[in-house]
Amino acid sequence: MDRPAAGSSYQRFPRVRIRELKDDYAKFELRDTDASIANALRRVMIAEVPTVAIDLVEIEVNSSVLNDEFIAHRLGLIPLTSAAAMQMRFSRDCDACDGDGSCEYCSVEFNLSARATDSDQTLEVTSNDLRSADPKVCPVDQARAYQLALSGNDYDPNAERGILIVKLRRGQELRLRAIARKGIGKDHAKWSPAATVTFMYEPDILINEELMDTLTFDEKRSWVESSPTKVFDLSANGKVTVCDAEAYTYDDEVIKKAEAMGKPGLVEINAKEDSFIFTVETTGAITAYELIMNAITVLRQKLDAIGLQDDDGDLGELGAHLGGP
Amino acid sequence: MNAPDRYERFVVPEGTKKVSYERDTKIVNAASFTIEREDHTIGNIVRMQLHRDPNVLFAGYKLPHPLQYKIIVRIHTTSQSSPTQAYTQAVNDLDKELEYLKQAFEVEKNRYEERAKQGF
Repeated sequence: MDRPAAGSSYQRFPRVRIRELKDDYAKFELRDTDASIANALRRVMIAEVPTVAIDLVEIEVNSSVLNDEFIAHRLGLIPLTSAAAMQMRFSRDCDACDGDGSCEYCSVEFNLSARATDSDQTLEVTSNDLRSADPKVCPVDQARAYQLALSGNDYDPNAERGILIVKLRRGQELRLRAIARKGIGKDHAKWSPAATVTFMYEPDILINEELMDTLTFDEKRSWVESSPTKVFDLSANGKVTVCDAEAYTYDDEVIKKAEAMGKPGLVEINAKEDSFIFTVETTGAITAYELIMNAITVLRQKLDAIGLQDDDGDLGELGAHLGGP
Repeated sequence: MNAPDRYERFVVPEGTKKVSYERDTKIVNAASFTIEREDHTIGNIVRMQLHRDPNVLFAGYKLPHPLQYKIIVRIHTTSQSSPTQAYTQAVNDLDKELEYLKQAFEVEKNRYEERAKQGF
């Protein structure tokens, strides 16, 4: 058997094409790699890219209808701007403090103080009422409102409204101190920067033109309409074309329909094993581009950590005796 | 009450090695690598990369139990290579691939922004 000498590289050189890139949304094609890499990227984006989220809440006064832990949980789920999270420390391995989350390297303090005065309206306490001690880390709605105000763009009521925490009736009060820490989605989903991350195999659709010509116009139409999503198009002169290959959901409906019509092999659909179409959506804590880049960085850090050290093995007598390199 | 800390899932306990390996006592050039606090993310990419190496006769990984936060990668190679060599090569190749991918993303982002500018 001919085998190349050990030590040669089997590295791949993946290609990327960005289709759409917005602040919190990205769609891109990833080619010349395999599903394991695509899935590893997806998994890291969801569970291992760090962000900052409220983790510790000290309630001073809470006379609202929600109990303390309910409010603490709601505060934790508010996305905070986390562009600095990659450079921050986890509070469990922060030397400057005892991991109690009270130093600038690993935590950010927030204060909230709200009281419904004697008007008849209920007071809505939102993420906009949170006061951050560090301007880099604040609720994403506050950051967006600030950006809009800076650019002098038209007023966006959604950005101003914030995320509702609790509603207060006349006389009720909420006062608390919260500490936000760096964390990852594996620990708790509140730290996940990803809203959705998905990838699909790019489909390769081949119509057997010869067989297609044997169909009548009505047959063609019923075949084209058998697809639950709009994948094929039928022109007035009876030509069937693929109009949107990616709309195909691998449901096999058109293949079954062709068989039912007595025309097996009318269309051949294969998933390209080395082409993936990714859709990435973030919570706003970091941008979609940052999420992708940070995911690659985190995955590389993981690979660096699993490299072999000199003293890892069991190069004892037994191993040496049984022969090896 | 007695729930283990959540971070136990991804922080390697003190005094434990991240990677350790044990040779097979019956088969030459076969070994099992135990990687602490890793899961399918790492296990599957390492396995697939090992499959690209023609000197690797067998490569597989398992997550023995969902509450034991470790994976076991088993490698069997020809006599031209060794499990440690194949493992190191696979990890290095993956690292280089991701480095390349990162650069490709940076280049493509600039190109995308150029395209967007011309589009308007």
